[in-house]
Amino acid sequence: MNKHIVRAGAALATVLLATAAQAQVAGTFSVRIGATHIAPQVRSGDLSAPSFPGTRVDVDSASALTGGLNYMLTDHWAIDVPIGLPFKHSFYGDGAIAGVGKVGETKVLPATVFAQYRFGEANANFRPYLGLGVTYAKFFKERTTATLNALSGGTPANPTTADIDDRFGLTPQVGFVYNFNERWFVDAAYYKSFLKTRTHLSSGQSVSIRLNPNVFAVGIGYRF
Amino acid sequence: MKPRMQWAARAAVASAVAALLAACGGGGSDTSTAVSVNSVRVMGDSLADSGTFGFKATVQGSAPTGPGSTPIWPERVATTYGQTLCPHYTSNGTSFSVNATCTNYAVAGGRINNFTAPASPVSITRQIQDAGTAGYNGSELVLIDGGGNDAADLIGAYLRVPRDGGAAYRAVLSTVLDTATVNAAFAAGATGLAQVGGRYMQTLASQFAATIKTNTLDKGAKRVAIVNMPGITLTPRFRAVLASVAAANGATAAAQAEAVFDGWVQAFNQQLAGSVAGDSRVVIADLYSSFKDQATNPAQYQLTNVTTAACPATGVGSDGLPTYTFPSCTAAALSAATPPAGATGGSNWWQTYGFADGFHPTPYGHQLVGQLVSRALSQAGWL
Repeated sequence: MNKHIVRAGAALATVLLATAAQAQVAGTFSVRIGATHIAPQVRSGDLSAPSFPGTRVDVDSASALTGGLNYMLTDHWAIDVPIGLPFKHSFYGDGAIAGVGKVGETKVLPATVFAQYRFGEANANFRPYLGLGVTYAKFFKERTTATLNALSGGTPANPTTADIDDRFGLTPQVGFVYNFNERWFVDAAYYKSFLKTRTHLSSGQSVSIRLNPNVFAVGIGYRF
Repeated sequence: MKPRMQWAARAAVASAVAALLAACGGGGSDTSTAVSVNSVRVMGDSLADSGTFGFKATVQGSAPTGPGSTPIWPERVATTYGQTLCPHYTSNGTSFSVNATCTNYAVAGGRINNFTAPASPVSITRQIQDAGTAGYNGSELVLIDGGGNDAADLIGAYLRVPRDGGAAYRAVLSTVLDTATVNAAFAAGATGLAQVGGRYMQTLASQFAATIKTNTLDKGAKRVAIVNMPGITLTPRFRAVLASVAAANGATAAAQAEAVFDGWVQAFNQQLAGSVAGDSRVVIADLYSSFKDQATNPAQYQLTNVTTAACPATGVGSDGLPTYTFPSCTAAALSAATPPAGATGGSNWWQTYGFADGFHPTPYGHQLVGQLVSRALSQAGWL
């Protein structure tokens, strides 16, 4: 054993120790839990015939308990997958049926995979990032109301039901991670999904709806 | 894999499973209404009559009344609330009897001002009074239409002016307006005669609103929907009347007559809206505008014909206009008939027609009226 080897060993140990203290080097896996708020910026088309001319809908905001998984491919590039409970959005009449109130609701699971680029040093406390994701919005449990039935010729015995197309959309993202220590961090992000879908009624009409939601997500995370 | 990694992986799997479980089941429709309605009471004319004379004023279903019969607009609205309707008055052709448990007081031919027999159930005013006598507890939904036959009476009398010197017109006007007003109108010539018709319809609307207030709102009703008067000049019957005016006196005269009659209808509707304005217990379903839109924009409503009757004419009336026989105009008969030239939809051709006869809507037309009324009810927060 000579001094060189001792030095090399000490250097390696230093690097390993530094790795443990560093935040987001390649190979780091983290999970987080928090909440996400989805605020659709709706532009509704007109419901197809037969309908009152200019029959449109509006979609309200929704929040849900969410989290996410993140894996650092390199010191800067990460794969991020938000996960969470479904969001429940209500639909309201607009245009020719403005003021009629709620016409339906749906649950949605927006499954997104982000590629993120994190700025700054891997061990920085504050790391802003940009991301670009692909979102697949899965709509389910579409549920109409007595109002929609009555407006579309449905009856309690034979109600008008709705089906919303599941769609892909692009989702750019901006956010940051703030590290409390080498394990715990907070992750906050704003993203915008460019998402357009079409709702079909069992009475035959359909309406295209541009949702383009603003999404605000925040979570407390733990790094392994 | 490190223990923490395993924990994270398990958490991720658990979340995914939870999401998938949440995805199962549900959907469909929540058919509960915003407010609970334990009775739907209807007053009006043939548009709202559940079968006082043993049939409905539209294409008949597999039965003329009751189960299997064509649902007319108030019945469609009642169904939304889990209620059914049956005729309060029934006629054997010569006299009326009363079925107290049935809450549809509407009678075909109903007039707000049934001046030939004011005490008959054909008088919508009488219907409203009878329904009021039964009392309200506030949980009812009241649906009222009227005025179409009143306008038809007035228009018929007005059109006879050249032949009878205005005797019939003067008689109708005098049932609502005072003698001085009528005399002044006749002294003012053609313009005066046209304008006084509007005055008549306005006064009629005021009386109608007052009747509803006294006998319905003041008796405790909290939800009253009034269907305003459609532009009857757009019905096949009045299109034929206007065509005969055009043939006799030229297109300009026909256009003028149409403008005069449409003005009368609008005068009624404006006065009615004004009389009930500001009362949150009353909503007006604007059939006038919707009906006009259907006539000018039929494709939007998936209507293929808004100018001719689906039922076959079975005779010619004393006024020279075709007459129709509703009891024999059934859905089965129309589907079995050879579709008229230009009709589409095969045996369902008549289902996209707007009119059953010269004056009354098809079953689909009733659906459209029902949807219009439902929109007004929803906007009031009642549906």
